[in-house]
Amino acid sequence: MTQNPFNNWLLRLFIKLTLRAGSGVFTGVPLHRLIRSEGWQEDVFIGKAAGYEDDLAAVIMAGFERLGVTSESLSGKHVLLKPNLVETSSAKSFCINTHPRVLHATIVALRRLGVARVTIGEGAGHRRDSMILLEQSGLIEVMKETGAAFVDLNYSEVCAVPNAGGITSLRQLMLPRIVKEADWVISMAKLKTHHWAGVTLAMKNLYGVVPGAYYGWPKNVLHVVGLQQSIYDVAATVGAHFAIVDGIIGMEGDGPILGEPKRAGVVVMGRNLPAVDATCSRIMGIDPAWIFHLAACPFFLGPIDEGEILQRGEPIDAVKTEFRLLEHIHVQRFLLKRRTKTLSGKKETYGLFTY
Amino acid sequence: MNNIRKWLTELERRGVPGGGFAGQPGGSYRPDATAWAALALESWKECLPQVAAARDRLVASQLKDGRVAIDPTYPQAFWPTAEAILLWHGSPPHQSSLKRAVDFLLRTSGVHYRWKRDDVVGHDTSIKGWPWIEKTHSWVEPTAMNLLALELTGQSGHPRAQEARRMLLNRQLESGGWNYGNTKTYCLELLPSMESTGLALHALAEHLEENKVRSSLAYLEAEMPKTRTPLWLGWSLLGMSAWKRRPREAEEWITESLERQKDYGSYDTAWIALLLLAAQSTAGVIYALQRPETVEAS
Repeated sequence: MTQNPFNNWLLRLFIKLTLRAGSGVFTGVPLHRLIRSEGWQEDVFIGKAAGYEDDLAAVIMAGFERLGVTSESLSGKHVLLKPNLVETSSAKSFCINTHPRVLHATIVALRRLGVARVTIGEGAGHRRDSMILLEQSGLIEVMKETGAAFVDLNYSEVCAVPNAGGITSLRQLMLPRIVKEADWVISMAKLKTHHWAGVTLAMKNLYGVVPGAYYGWPKNVLHVVGLQQSIYDVAATVGAHFAIVDGIIGMEGDGPILGEPKRAGVVVMGRNLPAVDATCSRIMGIDPAWIFHLAACPFFLGPIDEGEILQRGEPIDAVKTEFRLLEHIHVQRFLLKRRTKTLSGKKETYGLFTY
Repeated sequence: MNNIRKWLTELERRGVPGGGFAGQPGGSYRPDATAWAALALESWKECLPQVAAARDRLVASQLKDGRVAIDPTYPQAFWPTAEAILLWHGSPPHQSSLKRAVDFLLRTSGVHYRWKRDDVVGHDTSIKGWPWIEKTHSWVEPTAMNLLALELTGQSGHPRAQEARRMLLNRQLESGGWNYGNTKTYCLELLPSMESTGLALHALAEHLEENKVRSSLAYLEAEMPKTRTPLWLGWSLLGMSAWKRRPREAEEWITESLERQKDYGSYDTAWIALLLLAAQSTAGVIYALQRPETVEAS
């Protein structure tokens, strides 16, 4: 931890969360993790896929099998898939949005496991017209092929849920009812760099669960209370059960929209979102301990330390490919310095943090 | 227009007990869906008792300070206020509510701050408009909607309206069109959206010379023939109609969009209503809703 840039912030966060836990305000977070003697141990599966024409259902079935996801646990259930549908751009949709073939493969795999109902839900941040996203991402074809329904989470009926993260000033989050009513929520993210958050993976993807009708477009309230902090809070409160990250072709540079395609050839899966995101970051050549919202996770949400993540399928080194980071983008500059070990030794500040 | 009766009936079916409309069949009352559904039904002179009940339901939703929020337990989301104003306009029993709503808009703005040319974002963050949600920055669509509401109620000359139009112009993309409201981040121009463009163009119509928005009009003209999704098509048609450039195929495209619910699933009530209103508003929303009453702001 000595090199972690967030040590002071993490200490304050630890005290804050512990006090909240003690006062009974804190809900929904596995507090027992704090006091258990053994460390975290979460499994993450890395599957290889050269392209979207591969048998992706087989890759995802292999991941489910290695992670102990069985028909006994899913038979008859209702599963909500939350893809990353960000932007309309037919030309670059394949590297901006979760690819429709990955969604198709997931639906096929879930049905093989006996899932009764699959719903696709998204509350896009930039586009109120979700139908144009369905069209330009190609997801509409998957809906026709599979019969899966789509729910626009921006306008869904909501319920108030106590903020289980507790980092931001938000006491509760208004979440679509379907998110709490579904038996399983899967965050189906894209492997991308991000110009505000550093990376956008399974945790950041859950921003799209929060309804625009209550938080604005593009999720204005969350940006105001702190982007990194609210990524943590939303992920903690939504409590997704599983993550599948489409890293077959991701995005590097000025993500999540204006970057360049980057082929990584992987599908990353797991039950614990911080562990999945930490693995994805390592595949991208980015230290997860330097991503603000991931650095906060080991207290309550999940491990990011390599020693606490049991890697299934391919080893990280076999698939690692550095995603380009841009010097002129503040958050990426620090990640780049960490990667190239070119920290100057003199203090530099970015937002709340001093390096 | 083909099958119009089917879609008007669909709107009617989404009415809820106590007046107003839900976002989907069987759903709960939602203020914005209520305003749009009632505007569409009224424009087609259908279900007028339901329209009157919708106006009353919105009055019941209005908070003391004049705003109409998406949810009374979440007053910070006040963006449906403009839509309520559109519906209350011209209805004598609702003039007091309308006046309070207009006053609320005129004394409310987003969060603004000084902008420097080397900032990460490309737009001038100091020019005031309106936000979706209280205590956040101003964005294109709520600003344009509020401008339409002020225009309809005779407040288009108010200094807040003038500044908001300046804000919209500042948020126009160099290559044409608008998006939610960020022109550039880290020096790269972001992508346009037809819905934001249609709304912004509509709000600016009759206040600007065409050469100031020519590239945005060209963007919509190029994209409309291949677009059938509801918000993008609906607002594009309304925006172009306000600039007297309504395409001849408008009704045909609207029908096609409505029929696509077979594949997409049921549209939100507000989206169906927007398309039905666009079908009737051949010169834009303001012209279609124009009635003699105006409101004096205090």
